[in-house]
Amino acid sequence: MSIVDLTSMGESQVEVRKEINERLSRLQDEVSDYCYQCAKCTSGCEAHKLLELEPHKIIALLKRGLIDELVNSDLIWTCMSCFKCRERCPQKVAPIDVLFALKNMAVAAGKQIPGNYTAMLQSVLSIGLLQDVKSVATRDNKTVSRSDLGLPDVSKPADPTKFMGMLSKLAVEKV
Amino acid sequence: MKYALYPGCVMPTEQYAYEMSIREIMPKLDVDLVDLKGFSCCGEPIKSVNQMLTLSLSARNIALAEKEGLDIFAPCPICHLALCETKRVLDSDSSMKERVNKHLSDEGLTYTGSSDIVSILDILYDKVGVEKIKQMVKKPFKDLKAATHYGCHLIRPSEIGRSDDSENPQKIEEILKTLGFKPDYYPEKLDCCGGLLTANLPESALTKTGQKLQSVQDQGFDLFVDTCPWCHRQYDSKQIKAGETVAAKLEMPVFYLTQLIGLSMGISSDKLGLNLNLSPIDKIKTGGK
Ligand code: SF4
Ligand code: SF4
Repeated sequence: MSIVDLTSMGESQVEVRKEINERLSRLQDEVSDYCYQCAKCTSGCEAHKLLELEPHKIIALLKRGLIDELVNSDLIWTCMSCFKCRERCPQKVAPIDVLFALKNMAVAAGKQIPGNYTAMLQSVLSIGLLQDVKSVATRDNKTVSRSDLGLPDVSKPADPTKFMGMLSKLAVEKV
Repeated sequence: MKYALYPGCVMPTEQYAYEMSIREIMPKLDVDLVDLKGFSCCGEPIKSVNQMLTLSLSARNIALAEKEGLDIFAPCPICHLALCETKRVLDSDSSMKERVNKHLSDEGLTYTGSSDIVSILDILYDKVGVEKIKQMVKKPFKDLKAATHYGCHLIRPSEIGRSDDSENPQKIEEILKTLGFKPDYYPEKLDCCGGLLTANLPESALTKTGQKLQSVQDQGFDLFVDTCPWCHRQYDSKQIKAGETVAAKLEMPVFYLTQLIGLSMGISSDKLGLNLNLSPIDKIKTGGK
């Protein structure tokens, strides 16, 4: 099974999209009730100065139901998951969770997954971890491995086939 | 005290110094670590792709420890949050728990909610305690001004029960004081390292790293202390590149908290993986400058 199966699997993706849509409309109801556009989330946003992300505007667009625009925007991929917006919102709105839902939707809708996410997913699918064990540099410019350092074998899924089986079912499971 | 060590991905595949120093100091603090086979990624770094994956991967890892009747120690704050959030969701939503367990049954696993999940600070500060650490200090540091970096996931969102105060965390400072350091406040203390952007915007990630380190350096700190393998990869392993992105020559010694505890206990630098820190750490010695 490959990443393509996981993220754009024909019929079944319809189900995934339906579920993310439901999640988004729940969030939409929530923000419509509670967010009063004070922009406290944006004032502390780690991605604001550097990448021009404005979480309160994301919320404003969601309030107006402009989900397609949001899903197609590159801006949603600039959030660095610092959780400050969720921590500090006086109304207990969580812009970060809206952003996660929008990104999940972008993937389920078959938009290209940006950057290295594809490789990370691929790696989780095949060995269970984000990346395989690496050899690393030392201060004196040597290269050492995990075992050189006396560390035990890395823990990873014992039966990759069964593990993959679980993940593949997940791709069509409700979110 | 006995815990299953949940290593996650980044620590056991490249941030070996964190793992080595944890394996060295924990037994000396009467914390037994048990290695289990079969763990996978916690799923948090791919939450942007599919949140359900995160939930199921985390539940799967918790279930592995539950099967052995063990509580879980997750040294990586990102893993720790993923496992804690999953526990919170599954313990309060039985239909979600059922759904996740249907998947886990393929591997003969079941999530029940019986295991506790603790972070590096939960263990060091709340379980072991500074008094005990103090007793173990043989070679204290002296007169070194330390900047702390908690890592976003260790302190936010507080709604999910994090390890310290979200706006004014002090537990790392308290531990550093018992080792002889002089931790001090700096305005950028809560800023993010940018590490999770590495997946799609690596340059911006490095800019965040460089900006924070530069202000720490400008404020005259002697060293920078972290507890997260993602953050440490940014601040230590990639420090030179981070400096280039902000046009600064960064020369900031960066340590894992666990390495400093180990050094002050008199453990040799080899065993604590100090040879793997790529930032200029040589000027920092026990006993003072
Ligand atoms: S901080 Fe909360 S209430 Fe204020 S704009 Fe942001 S989401 Fe809305
Ligand atoms: S979690 Fe994302 S949106 Fe929220 S403050 Fe941090 S970078 Fe900004």
